[in-house]
Amino acid sequence: MYEAVHARPDGDSTAARLALTAGEYGYDGVVLRNHGDALPEYDREAIVEKYGVDVVDGVEVRAEDPSRASGFVGNHRADRTVVAVHGGTVSMNRFAVEQPPVDVLAHPMTGDGDVNHVMAKAAAENSVHVEFAFGRVLRADGGVRVQAIRDLRKLREIVAAYDVPYVVSADATSHLQLRAPRELLAIGEVLGFDAEQVRTGLAAWGDIAERNRDRTGEEYIEPGVRREDR
Amino acid sequence: MKHLPKYLRQRWRYLAVTAETWPDATVERGEFQRHLWYAAQNLLGDAGSAEVDLSVVRFETGAAGFEAIVRTRRGESDRARAVLACLDGVAGDPVGLRVAGVSGTVRACEEKYMRGGPEGIEQSHVAFEGRERTAETRGERVDVRVDDAFVGAATLDI
Repeated sequence: MYEAVHARPDGDSTAARLALTAGEYGYDGVVLRNHGDALPEYDREAIVEKYGVDVVDGVEVRAEDPSRASGFVGNHRADRTVVAVHGGTVSMNRFAVEQPPVDVLAHPMTGDGDVNHVMAKAAAENSVHVEFAFGRVLRADGGVRVQAIRDLRKLREIVAAYDVPYVVSADATSHLQLRAPRELLAIGEVLGFDAEQVRTGLAAWGDIAERNRDRTGEEYIEPGVRREDR
Repeated sequence: MKHLPKYLRQRWRYLAVTAETWPDATVERGEFQRHLWYAAQNLLGDAGSAEVDLSVVRFETGAAGFEAIVRTRRGESDRARAVLACLDGVAGDPVGLRVAGVSGTVRACEEKYMRGGPEGIEQSHVAFEGRERTAETRGERVDVRVDDAFVGAATLDI
């Protein structure tokens, strides 16, 4: 299982510290999902070797409008393993689910964001994973949290109806905000998810990383076609 | 009052909790207990909170963190775990906590999951992001003071 995190300068902890803590919590790896304007500096090989935790180079594209986002997605796609789009408005959500190069639509229900059946179908078609963001459930309270839980329920129903791929994340910005997989499973169950859904959502980060690494590998030509040395 | 026959007594489960904080935070037992009740009430409501019936039975402050044993009713461990996951801070200090394990007795819980004794903390000057700064080191973990806050780093970053 993998977790996606914001490392320094986007958050309060370095990539190495997040990987160290994630490893202790039982994760196989972390996806660094820093926003495009605050990318982290880190030595991937050193972290993987020392802590035995995979580190996936990712980015969360944050832009004011879809046309600018489109440029950013294009720039990052070539050299990042996971490309997510910072959701939270209807126009950005729609943009993200219509783009096959996008891997993840992050926190689509925050702010004014919403998802409907049309977007869900597009996401399923383009295999854009929709994120169940547990951050506000874990760290907010009062009305904000009630809304977050309500939004998660709505998103869960839509996702189930159209078989949309999804990821789950606590969206931690420091090692203190990380929570172990079993804890996320437990909170998911209280919110009405079944444990298998949360587990699938956490594993999906790793699956995306594996698929994209394979695609950027030398043997890969197109889906179903690969070069083999004889 | 005469105590209940054994078959009517409540059965408990004990959750071993280990938590990290920033080095300048001090979390006290009473505060932890109070925030735990709040967290339970916020997540599960009064009825659910009474059902999980969380109470802190052991509490030990360490360097930049604490260890505790939290008791819950048997059969409620998962909901207790969910409540603990939602505890993001105690009295304004952020805490990163996890359940190290669950046991049927306090003693088993202590023997199996408590690390015993606080980890040593060391103060030093380190080079981080091109500048010399003060830091608190515990094993692989290094909390570096940058401006007025801490940054969580590891020995690899130094």
